[in-house]
Amino acid sequence: MQSPVKIWRNQKKIQSLIGKTGEIISWTIIRVPPEGFSDQAPYPVAVIALKSGEKITAQVVDYNEKHLAFGQKVITVIRRVTQPNTEGIIPYGIKVKPL
Amino acid sequence: MNIFVAGVSTTKFGELWGVSPRTLAREAVFGALKDAHIDAKKIDALFVGNMLSGILGGQEHLGAFFTEELGLSVPAFKIEGACASGGLAVHNAINSVLANQYETVLVLGIEKMTDHKPEDVATALMGAGSEEERSAGATFPGLYAIMARAHMKEYGTTQEQLASVAVKNHYHASLNPNAQFRNPITIEQVMRSSKIADPLKLLDCSPISDGASALVITRKKARIEMKSSIVATDTLGLAQRKSLTELKATQEAAKKAYEQAGISSKDIDIAEVHDCFTIAEILAMEDLGFYKKGKAAEVVGKTKELVINPSGGLKGCGHPVGATGIKQIVELVEHLRGSAGERQVKNAKIGLAHNVGGSGATAVVHILCKVR
Repeated sequence: MQSPVKIWRNQKKIQSLIGKTGEIISWTIIRVPPEGFSDQAPYPVAVIALKSGEKITAQVVDYNEKHLAFGQKVITVIRRVTQPNTEGIIPYGIKVKPL
Repeated sequence: MNIFVAGVSTTKFGELWGVSPRTLAREAVFGALKDAHIDAKKIDALFVGNMLSGILGGQEHLGAFFTEELGLSVPAFKIEGACASGGLAVHNAINSVLANQYETVLVLGIEKMTDHKPEDVATALMGAGSEEERSAGATFPGLYAIMARAHMKEYGTTQEQLASVAVKNHYHASLNPNAQFRNPITIEQVMRSSKIADPLKLLDCSPISDGASALVITRKKARIEMKSSIVATDTLGLAQRKSLTELKATQEAAKKAYEQAGISSKDIDIAEVHDCFTIAEILAMEDLGFYKKGKAAEVVGKTKELVINPSGGLKGCGHPVGATGIKQIVELVEHLRGSAGERQVKNAKIGLAHNVGGSGATAVVHILCKVR
């Protein structure tokens, strides 16, 4: 469970990752999700090689099937991560959408 | 190393709703002591491999928990390294004996998983991944599926080849009375099973299991000698690694383990490898040096000179995560002694156990041989 203070502390890292472009190097479709993600399933999760040289794991949003491909260009965006937890905090984080 | 395995034991693996962790531990530990013909009074310390007792069961402090239950008044430690907790516990037990701190120690691997909802278990297991992976909604089947897809692209590995790992391991498990799944399956059944994380399907995945296994490790000469015990680590998150088609931690641990034992991968007769998902066995076959990259998938189940996962592996025998790394060694010892019953691998002299934590952030390799 993400505590409010942890969410607050992570803001800087999340901000630094917004608006970066990169490409999909592999992906899956999660059909049996962990707790808090059931309203989104099934959803794709991909490993993205960012142009900056970093690699990240992120959920793919605003996609259709043809976007799930090796080399698909994507951009990082900020989105809600899970359903609000018992503390009432809505956690936001980095996802990617196709370009 | 002059380290010996004097006794081994494992409980049945499976959905053991009627059995408590205390009962599992007693069965495994007293079984191993009986097998070793050693009195409990001779035990100097207890090492417990476990991952989830805190997050799922609310019980930490497993060292004292189990010494109380077993009636032992000795130093005791819980060792955690995700699904490699068992292998790490063995490594730490060996080191303590090598350091002359203790002469004879017990290693217990245990996990109780089926008391809990599958979503809760999946969430708890993601504790082995990175924060970024948890935020992405990834699961362990998902992370291995990402590796499977990359392997399929790079080497032309097919879903049927992945399925053949599950088919072979269920066949082996059908001969193992302690296995969770004793039903042989077909490639068609694997291919038709429900999708979990594409391209992995239900029958590509190891199950949620309960079980316990135990070893007696000593520096007093016994029939089975431990030739090497090596641990290696890599980045916690999958994305941060150089390659998605190999586990560097496995490669490093294997290389050092062969060096420590003074042998090569060709000398291994029998291996228990970490097949948490079918792709993981193919990666292990390559990263342990048995086959070149991209060449393992086509020979699954056709290798006569090397038998992989005679217990049924994690897929067929079951995967109570803390117990797995210990069960692998129990299985090797049975074959090296010639006491594995119906599934006995003939003339097995040198065995290798390969235990992985997370998506490859920890790898543990042990090599054992029959004392001549």
